[in-house]
Amino acid sequence: MSLTYNLSPDGKAFTIQIKGKFDFNVVQAFRSSYENVGESKPKVVVDLRETEYMDSSALGMLLNMQKSLGDTVESIRIANCRTQIKKILQISRFDKKFEID
Amino acid sequence: MRVLVVDDQELNRTLLQFLLQDEGYDVVIATNGEEALECFDNNEIDLVLLDVVMPVMDGFATAPLLKEKAGELYLPIIFITALDDQASLKRCLEVGGDDFLNKPFDKVILSAKIRAHARIRALALKTLEQKKQLEYHQNQINREHEIVDHVFKNALMDNYQDKEVVDFYLSPHSMFNGDVLLIATNPVGGIYVLMGDFTGHGLSAAIGALPLSKTFYSMAKKGLSVGDMAAELNNQLLQLLPDDMFCAATILEMNSSGKSISLWIGGMPDTFLVKPDGTLKKIINSQHMALGVLEADEFETTVMNMETNPGDRVVLYTDGIIESVNMEGEMYSETRFESFYLADKDTSIETLISELVAFRGEAEQNDDISVAYLTCTNKLQAMVEPEQPFSKLPFHLRLDASAEELKNTDPVVEMLDVVSQICGLSDHRSVMFLLLSEVYNNALDHGILKLDSSDKDGDDGFMDYYFKRQDALSALTQGDITIAAEYQPNGNRIIFTITDSGDGFDMAATSDNTVNDKEHGRGLSLLAELAESIEYSDKGNEVKVVYVLEA
Repeated sequence: MSLTYNLSPDGKAFTIQIKGKFDFNVVQAFRSSYENVGESKPKVVVDLRETEYMDSSALGMLLNMQKSLGDTVESIRIANCRTQIKKILQISRFDKKFEID
Repeated sequence: MRVLVVDDQELNRTLLQFLLQDEGYDVVIATNGEEALECFDNNEIDLVLLDVVMPVMDGFATAPLLKEKAGELYLPIIFITALDDQASLKRCLEVGGDDFLNKPFDKVILSAKIRAHARIRALALKTLEQKKQLEYHQNQINREHEIVDHVFKNALMDNYQDKEVVDFYLSPHSMFNGDVLLIATNPVGGIYVLMGDFTGHGLSAAIGALPLSKTFYSMAKKGLSVGDMAAELNNQLLQLLPDDMFCAATILEMNSSGKSISLWIGGMPDTFLVKPDGTLKKIINSQHMALGVLEADEFETTVMNMETNPGDRVVLYTDGIIESVNMEGEMYSETRFESFYLADKDTSIETLISELVAFRGEAEQNDDISVAYLTCTNKLQAMVEPEQPFSKLPFHLRLDASAEELKNTDPVVEMLDVVSQICGLSDHRSVMFLLLSEVYNNALDHGILKLDSSDKDGDDGFMDYYFKRQDALSALTQGDITIAAEYQPNGNRIIFTITDSGDGFDMAATSDNTVNDKEHGRGLSLLAELAESIEYSDKGNEVKVVYVLEA
């Protein structure tokens, strides 16, 4: 599994991509990634296109991120979910708290 | 060297025959024009000595017919005639003769003339031979081009085609296009578009499109991000292309809602984002160097993310448009291109191209020209994979992990890898992972490592818990966990039973739902929603999760 992040050159989008397994083992990498959002108040995109597995601790990490970032970012979107991952997010009512596509 | 002697006088014929044979030439004899034509058909003739006044067919009538038969290969015809008036001699040359000599003729002059014309004949033969070789090679090249063209067409056949989503105009400078436009849908919905421009044009530029397209399609199928795509394509081209060749490219992904695009742009002219009414919304600059230039460790995968609205258009094009030159030597230029979208008018591809053609006037196209419009849309939704039929066989699988194995392996993932091999179960692996990892982590964290999950509260609590867990795990010397999976084809159920060697817990104390809004309670409530049933048994150190796989 691996986690990468980047801020687009215009400072308007901050993307975090998690590959493979989004679980407790990436807690450190995940938290330190969003410490780099910067001052430009970007939109955060959590790109799950290559996330095959996630567990409830991943849900916890997403909520912690939301709490921690607050209004230092414009929005948080969970993007490119595979069908099964989307199902898990919907069952967890995450579509009420995040923009999901 | 064979000479045809045409004369009705036997004396002349014999005289010429001896003279020519003496000089080492083969001689063929004809007594009039008709015979001469016949002889020409039956022998390979290199030169003709032709009398003018003869019965049946005279020399003036014969010469043009012989020339016609000789076709494009030079056949020297020397008239030997007793006529010496200006008009007759002039006519000799007009009907196709190359030279003339008066009778009685001078031997020395005749052989000198024959040698001179023989040299020209030899040159003509050589030229004809070269021409044949040239034609042969030309045919060979045409054949090769047809084959390559066929391969190209097939290689690019996988392109997603829907003019409403991606409309384009491609005009190669020569037979093969050094520009490339690749389009593929994303399995999670949305679309990828790659527009590339290889150095130069023609076949050498086009050849790179083959590996590029193959890799692009396979990455699109996996739904990779444009940054990862760019990195992979860069590595491939770096390895394949010579140092002075590379590929400027824009790689774009539009998401399934049509509300956002991400772009990796290297070495391409500015990309335009145009509103539905055709006016310019934003100009996006190239951020990187072209593909195939930088080593993997120098390569940057940073992408631009843009918000779009359905109906917005992204204009992708290669420098062939803005570098089009008119008769006055002026370039179409980025400024003209930009003002095309600033003016309040129809900005369709057709209009753009007709404006460009009008600008160029009589001047020839000097590069490959490509332009593509991607219209943002939400109509490209995730593809529904055909579901595999479920296995009809009942399976029982089981693994026993010792303390050492709990420390160093990932039993959940390995168990799932095996379970996913059962026909029909692979589509459900993400949900199965969630179910199994929840109960496994409970067993490991609380049963074996004896951690208290109330430590998890808050962001810092999460991290503290993580470190405590790491410490406890590395200090672990005793304990084991058994994972059993049972697949029941009747009712399509998968049943996981996890048993740990811990002390169990007081079920009554945790069965209330007050913990649901806290991070650590989320797992259990999610489990309850996804599973058909969850059952603790023994002293609480064995849990059985039943999941119904929906067809």
